[in-house]
Amino acid sequence: MARNPEVIVQEGIQQYGSGREAIMQLLAKVNAELSWVPEEAIIAIAEATDVSAAEVYSVVSFYSFFSSTPRGRNIVRVCSTISCAMAGQGDVLKALIDEFEIEPFKTTDDGRLTIETTPCIGLCDQAPAMLVNGEPYVKLTPEKACEIVRGLE
Amino acid sequence: MEKKVLLAEDQPEFGAGLEKALTMEPADVVYAVRDSGIKGRGGAGFPTGVKWNLAGAASSHVKYVLCNADEGEPGTFKDRVLIEKYAERLLEGMAIGGYAIGGSKGIIYLRAEYLYLIPAIEKARTSLKSRGLLGENIRGRGFDFDVDVRSGAGAYVCGEETSLIESLEGKRGEPRNKPPYPVNSGYLNKPTIVNNVETFCAVPHIVLGGPEWYAELGQGDCSGTKLFSISGDVERPGVYELPMGAPLKDLLDLAGTSDMQAVQVGGASGRTIPASEINRKLSFADLPPGGSVIVFNNSVNMVEVLENLMDFFVHESCGQCTPCREGNLRLMHAAQDIISGDITCKDCLTPFFELAEVMKSASKCGLGQTSANCFVDIISNFVELSDECHCGECSCEGGDE
Repeated sequence: MARNPEVIVQEGIQQYGSGREAIMQLLAKVNAELSWVPEEAIIAIAEATDVSAAEVYSVVSFYSFFSSTPRGRNIVRVCSTISCAMAGQGDVLKALIDEFEIEPFKTTDDGRLTIETTPCIGLCDQAPAMLVNGEPYVKLTPEKACEIVRGLE
Repeated sequence: MEKKVLLAEDQPEFGAGLEKALTMEPADVVYAVRDSGIKGRGGAGFPTGVKWNLAGAASSHVKYVLCNADEGEPGTFKDRVLIEKYAERLLEGMAIGGYAIGGSKGIIYLRAEYLYLIPAIEKARTSLKSRGLLGENIRGRGFDFDVDVRSGAGAYVCGEETSLIESLEGKRGEPRNKPPYPVNSGYLNKPTIVNNVETFCAVPHIVLGGPEWYAELGQGDCSGTKLFSISGDVERPGVYELPMGAPLKDLLDLAGTSDMQAVQVGGASGRTIPASEINRKLSFADLPPGGSVIVFNNSVNMVEVLENLMDFFVHESCGQCTPCREGNLRLMHAAQDIISGDITCKDCLTPFFELAEVMKSASKCGLGQTSANCFVDIISNFVELSDECHCGECSCEGGDE
């Protein structure tokens, strides 16, 4: 059962304070736990930091790791930049799309999985690479990538 | 040939540079860094000692030492390797920076893609703290210094130092107008130095070896060593450390290449050169090296490479400046039109070269000022265009038909 976004924000304020400079950490905390940043969290952060909700929302919308719409509890980010593209990233992504039947930036109906493409993740020496819930997986083949994603909860 | 200092197998104990710095006057530490000639290892190449001198001279009781660990340039992964293996050296370099400018607070701005590196940083911090090299009254010199890690959230533009500061302040990562510069008014409007991971890692070596020793590591007019991340069509991708100013060919020989068509130095915003020019130098005066080197062999369609890179910039432009926001999109469309055959002649591309110039001169930050480089280089060096077409719109001979 997902925790109430406001509870997560309050916990974050204990850790990071309620200054404006805590906004990124508060958003990251909510985003990490829920996979997205619901409106209740944006309003709670806005009230705590004395910044308008519109401005907090504008911060959410700026950063690609934050989402203002629900995403799956597992997020797979396949690097799409040039070194990975040259090493077969296209085949890896296609295999994931085919097996899990979702397009990039879409979520499976059961809420288990979101697949995204992402710019360079700094694993170009071990391309193609992806981040699964933030952890790096490298030297992928289509089979290997599908196996990793199949094993997620 | 490699010249390993930062990546040397046998190197001074972590903390030795800080110990030595603490026996010096802060201003002398600044002068050592200045006299070493080191320029920012993130790619922009601003002299580190000049930055530190300005921040040191700024009057404020509170100053900040920020580490730019937002390594996002396509093809760059040297800072990841440094943090994985040499996080203590990084923290040591930041502490030296704090001592030199009179700041007691360090923050590492770590890109969200590298959150798995946080345990390595925390371990290094714990180790230095247990030895009394971070914390309060370090070595009885009345100098306090500690470091926090703060994460980004997936925005390439936050590698620009004022965007990074905006992000740390809980805002959209949009570059600020300059001046004021961060050395006078940076994080929370306090004097702030922002340096790359590699720059901070080099500082303890400079303090220990002396500025003359460090300067002489470079070739020609260049100072020190430089880390290069090399990937693409090479046999041995990875991070190599060479003298700054070394020929590109030396690096390519280490990584192993064959049937080479093109090399991109400095990432998507750097320069893309044909294989015939590999004797050029890895230096700020010739091929400015950020950290990324990507090799393309003859099987690669360079216009498709261009499309991939322009797609990157379209995604990463913060949107604040119109030339960058719109320009990158138009350049990507031009690349797509070349691939589809809708653009075949030189005249049709003239407006895009003009657009590239506008982006360079009218964008506020380095992103928009450099993102057209790959367009200009790849189109000029690797695309064969005819002198005439049949679009009916442009001024070439075929256009009138």
